[in-house]
Amino acid sequence: MSTDTSAQATKPNNRIFQPIILDIPDLCRIEDTEKEDMQELCMEMTHAVYPHDKVYGDYCSIQEYINCPPEKVYQYLAETSNFLEWTFSLRDMEYSEQDDVYTFTDAIGGKTKCFCRTVCSPDAMTVDYHCAWDQEKKLWMIYLMRVVPAELVFGKPGSVVLWTNCCHPYYNNNPHPELAPTDRKVWVGDMWPMFYAGHTIEMQNLKKILEYRHANQS
Amino acid sequence: MQTISLVGAASFLPETIIDNEHFMNASGIKRHPMFRGTKLRRHIKDTESATTMATAAINSLKEKLNLNLVNDVDVLITNVTIPDIPFVGCGAAIVGALGLKPKTVYDLQNGGCVSFIFMMELAQMILNSTEAKSAIICNIQTAAGRICGQDDNLKLPQSAVPGDGCGAAYFVKGDRNPIHSIVTKTHGEYANDMKIVTSDGRDWWQPGTTAFNIDFGEEKISSVIARGNKLVPEVMYEALALADLQASNIDTLITNQPNRIFLRNWREAIQLDEDQHINTLPDHGNLFGAGIPISLTLGLDSGRIKPGTKILLSGFSHAGDYSAGAVLSWNG
Repeated sequence: MSTDTSAQATKPNNRIFQPIILDIPDLCRIEDTEKEDMQELCMEMTHAVYPHDKVYGDYCSIQEYINCPPEKVYQYLAETSNFLEWTFSLRDMEYSEQDDVYTFTDAIGGKTKCFCRTVCSPDAMTVDYHCAWDQEKKLWMIYLMRVVPAELVFGKPGSVVLWTNCCHPYYNNNPHPELAPTDRKVWVGDMWPMFYAGHTIEMQNLKKILEYRHANQS
Repeated sequence: MQTISLVGAASFLPETIIDNEHFMNASGIKRHPMFRGTKLRRHIKDTESATTMATAAINSLKEKLNLNLVNDVDVLITNVTIPDIPFVGCGAAIVGALGLKPKTVYDLQNGGCVSFIFMMELAQMILNSTEAKSAIICNIQTAAGRICGQDDNLKLPQSAVPGDGCGAAYFVKGDRNPIHSIVTKTHGEYANDMKIVTSDGRDWWQPGTTAFNIDFGEEKISSVIARGNKLVPEVMYEALALADLQASNIDTLITNQPNRIFLRNWREAIQLDEDQHINTLPDHGNLFGAGIPISLTLGLDSGRIKPGTKILLSGFSHAGDYSAGAVLSWNG
């Protein structure tokens, strides 16, 4: 039986490890950047407030602490049918075993179909939802979720859930307007400026459901 | 509560102008972040004192506002960074030098870079609780010449940032240019993060052969930056809320002037354009407590503060021990 080790971090085989980076321009490293200059650079980059678009323009990353063991949180996220519980508007699930694709109605777009293939990595506790509205050939709306044991990062029981979306160009331009249900005026990308808020509200749903069930040991 | 109004402001800057070259030569360092925000600054010289600076600023205020200093000043409140004589501020000395006859004189030790707003609050209390009708409040910054100008400190690039100067403002009972709100806050947990340091470890009052200096400690720099980024926007918005105003109602922002990054961040936090925030940092350095009244003077004298507009004053001091904000109207 072969073991795939490609995902493991490489380890230096010598005790003295020398990075070979001299030919790469514009790195900021202590060897060629004064500490004072680094401090100024950091101050320059640290603002008191940030415009929404600066933070959530190209990426929408949110995170939340959930008082529920990481294994349970991971299992809940890995079970795609739970969208019916914690998402705002994904309903009427069907599953095609042949394509390994779930089909939902995204009620935020009326009768819009939303397709999803879920890719899980139990060791890393990552759950990636590869989704798209209207068609399933190119699942380009990707929801990247990671569960982190809170014991490791906060020194307390429970989980931290990290959730990132990247602003794929299709958010700005619907590649298949012809596939939209008749009379639908909205496109999922129109809501990108509200993704932080929408996802935060859904994350709160997720937190409330998991914490409630964990507290009641269901 | 009786409304208190700003009548005018004046400043005095010491004669000695020092450019960046002076600090580059002393330190032997030509390129340093500390040389980038400030181009010029003044240093108090030996023949000047906090008292002479204050006297000059108050005389300028007298000329501008046509005051009779004997009759028109019921209250004098001052703040000096490095006083002429330990133990005392220079309130009594100013009274003596100018022949003032105030009923009430206070030298305020606290509030640092935002002490102007603390003094406004104190003036408002005194004018509201006594027969007094008028007050001069005065910030005198002497630490640039008296600390940074010492040979031992001159070698340090950070000595290029402070500058000396004095700003004074005149307030009266009345509603011509009313103060709408004053918020002052004390953050005791940060009180000991700014230290007086000496190269030989002695206390600053003990005899020695090297100069003492002010230091935040490298380990505290990030925290102090985070505090400035948090405390000042917070208190600005509290002062606005207390005045029942929005950030969009403000025409001019005046803050203390610690460095260009804080100026940018505070302006961004209140969503004002760069030209709405009075910036004395390049020409005068960090004026500590005198930064606010000197900027106010500059804004009024240059016509940048126009009649019928609203001014927001704000800032924080030292390593974050005090923060304050105030809103007032300017109608001329």
